[in-house]
Amino acid sequence: MKPAKSPRRFLRGLLVTLFWLGVWQAVSMLVAKPVIFASPIDTLRALWAQVPTAAYWSAVLGSLGRIALGFFLALILGLLVGIAAFRFSLLRTLLSPLLTMMKTVPVASFIILILVWFGSSSLAVIVALLIVFPQIYFAALSGLESTNPELLELSRVFRVPAGRTAWQVYRPALWPYLMGACASALGMSWKAGIAAEVIGTPLHSIGEQLYLSKVYMATAELFAWTLTVILLSTVFEKAVLRLLRRVGK
Amino acid sequence: MDIAIKDLSHRFGEKVIFQHYNLTLQRGGLYGLTAPSGRGKTTLLRILLGLLTPDAGTVTQGVRYSAVFQTDRLLPGRSAVDQLLFVRGNRKNREEAARFLAGLLPENSLNQSVGELSGGMQRRVAIARALWADSDCVLMDEPFTGLDEATLHQTVDFILANRQGRTLLLSTHQKELLTDYPFAWLTL
Repeated sequence: MKPAKSPRRFLRGLLVTLFWLGVWQAVSMLVAKPVIFASPIDTLRALWAQVPTAAYWSAVLGSLGRIALGFFLALILGLLVGIAAFRFSLLRTLLSPLLTMMKTVPVASFIILILVWFGSSSLAVIVALLIVFPQIYFAALSGLESTNPELLELSRVFRVPAGRTAWQVYRPALWPYLMGACASALGMSWKAGIAAEVIGTPLHSIGEQLYLSKVYMATAELFAWTLTVILLSTVFEKAVLRLLRRVGK
Repeated sequence: MDIAIKDLSHRFGEKVIFQHYNLTLQRGGLYGLTAPSGRGKTTLLRILLGLLTPDAGTVTQGVRYSAVFQTDRLLPGRSAVDQLLFVRGNRKNREEAARFLAGLLPENSLNQSVGELSGGMQRRVAIARALWADSDCVLMDEPFTGLDEATLHQTVDFILANRQGRTLLLSTHQKELLTDYPFAWLTL
């Protein structure tokens, strides 16, 4: 079981948070122009005004749904294709240039192309998928390659069924790699997904709200939406990693 | 069925390990294999298990083996009982597997993660696993490594009580401790 946070650690975390809130407040007071740099109080006030509205929740749920869908599709596809590429080296060679391209092409280029080809409604889904897929694919390959060959020999000699070998030998080798890839891909899926929404401005999206905040120079609202994204991304990341840890046990 | 190795030849680099070597293990036989280090005991066992293809010669096919390898090869993070269930059975056989393993290990260690067991206990889990598995022939490569003399005798008694008529071939460099047992000794 995970040990509970000690009061000392909690206090330290609280002090760090207060310190950075203080820095934020000090910078906003120095700038002294809320339209350029909103203070924490202005931001919380803007958030407080938004939270009870239907538009807020429709944007939150819309973005969450699209990014989560893109992430989970990439997780499933990345795992399946990674396993297939591990099994068939020809597929691995065939996919190599495509995966290298996916890793190196700027996200903005993808966003514009997808916008042209598919429109804005599924933009965040596809962008999140394209960002996460290579990470999961390479993690699956590395994890499977790290499988202990002695345990595979053991399975072979004892004629252990393939499914049991997959679950009890391959999965434990794969999981640490998958967890590491997901930990970084989760944050990136939010960054790229929201950036795509800002460019594509689909209806019922945080990206659209961020874009409108920019248009109306509503900096406090912009900060409030950014805070929302940080909270959503953190909660989503913790929930997914907890789920994966459970499956990996 | 009898297991026959015919006209086996094998080299490791420049070194000749086997040259026209022949061996027959009779069905249900109890064999000990002894030889100085580097003479090919492990190589012979790996050829029998089908993990190594010899340069020349034939080996009887269709034999179902179970084995104790030079290293324990236990699933990390899993209990001693889980190691047995990995090679035969499922959750329903858990109690049966635990009873079997209790013949060789203290009861309070059966559900502990193998990483928490001593080296000697891990070795005994590997031995119990080979005997628990469905097989026609059990091969053991230096199974008594890390066991003190009293535990070694307890382990041999367990092996003999649980081999259930299967052919058994074990390689060891501790032949002198096994003279009271009915092994037919082979040398390389």
